Amino acid sequence: MSMVEFRKVTKRFGRVVVLNEVDLNIESGEVVVLIGPSGSGKSTLLRCINALEEIDGGDLIVDGISVRAGRSHVRLIRQEAGMVFQQFNLFPQMTALENVAFGPRHVRGLNRTEALSQARELLSKVGLADRANYYPSELSGGQQQRVAIARALAIKPKLMLFDEPTSALDPELRHEVLMVMQSLAEEGMTMIVVTHEMNFARRVGTRLIFMENGKIAVDGDPVALLANPENPRLREFLQHVN
Amino acid sequence: MDFDWSVIVDAMPSLLSGARLTIFITLGGLAGGLVVGFVAGLMRAYGNALLNSIAFAYIELIRGTPIVVQVMFIYFALPVLANVRISPISAAVTAIVVNAGAYIAEIVRGSFLSVHKGLKEAGLALGLPFWKVLLYIIGPVAFRRMIPPLGNQFIVSLKDTSLFIVIGVGELTRQGQEIMAANFRAVEIWTAVAVFYLIMTGTLTLILRVVEKKMRML
Repeated sequence: MSMVEFRKVTKRFGRVVVLNEVDLNIESGEVVVLIGPSGSGKSTLLRCINALEEIDGGDLIVDGISVRAGRSHVRLIRQEAGMVFQQFNLFPQMTALENVAFGPRHVRGLNRTEALSQARELLSKVGLADRANYYPSELSGGQQQRVAIARALAIKPKLMLFDEPTSALDPELRHEVLMVMQSLAEEGMTMIVVTHEMNFARRVGTRLIFMENGKIAVDGDPVALLANPENPRLREFLQHVN
Repeated sequence: MDFDWSVIVDAMPSLLSGARLTIFITLGGLAGGLVVGFVAGLMRAYGNALLNSIAFAYIELIRGTPIVVQVMFIYFALPVLANVRISPISAAVTAIVVNAGAYIAEIVRGSFLSVHKGLKEAGLALGLPFWKVLLYIIGPVAFRRMIPPLGNQFIVSLKDTSLFIVIGVGELTRQGQEIMAANFRAVEIWTAVAVFYLIMTGTLTLILRVVEKKMRML
């Protein structure tokens, strides 16, 4: 059974068709890198998976559950799909540690002590053990994003969704976030990553998907596609990115 | 003219009892007003069409009419309509509850809706039900933003209690009026009354400042 299965998924914003009958299967353990020009539907595709966007047509099955199965099922999907946002979206009234411990306490029902000790482990995994008691406003963008990754991992998801995780970061801060993501991929986490980081796609990705006009235009091996893009639109896109 | 301090000394017991009543009406009214305001504000911000229009109608009704008319309605018209007897003090507290509730509702709505939608999405993405997102994530951020406008409303409501002179509640202004009617010492009495109000609003301002300092502003 696929981890994520799009069946002719359509999504519209008003009259604009953002996803046009998309079919896509993603298996457990894949690291899928989604690229495409802005407005091509890649972020929307990602946000449909955990139902932050409601789909208008077709069906979308995540870990055996349909996103259309109702509110309580959607919550189950979200507990299996951790999400990392471009703008980090850490809870500003909580310290880094509290941010990471929040999900397990309120979603997984861990008690305070368990949640905090698990949060400490995760923070040291992303290299921020010494920042546990800092508030988000006291952390750099790269640090905030690493806390956000730890927060998403804390609910023990089977799948991680990254929505342009390094786009809001200065170039020298991107590296630390990409390294955390790479080690996650090496542990076998299923990941879907919207990004413009072609080096990451080449090194870490197991699959590259190029989207255009709400459709999947190219789908294949990242190393081969980036070395020799046969699709003219993909070739043009890559020239602009690099 | 001479400012006669003995007039103030003689008036002190009455003024103090008036001030006490003013504080009682304000605190009781604002406690209720906060509850009403939160409920109506959240109905406006997140309710379905029906809840939203109920809250909207309430807010427009109250903001569109003077508080003096509201308290007169509660004290004089409601007993006729609903056949209930209501004491002047209950009418006064009810008027503040209903009046402040409408303004607080708009403060609550504005503060909740001003919180960046990414926080809501981050909460939902963890698999939390929406009420928990409101309670633990958006609520605490919104609450900090509410403090300055709430402080404003608390002060306005405190001073609005002086209008309840029209239904004969023995609050501060009414006490001043009665003493004045007996001794005609307008300067001393109204100065004393004004100072009493300043002390009460000043204390409120100080409390709010402490609360604001204790919370990290976000």
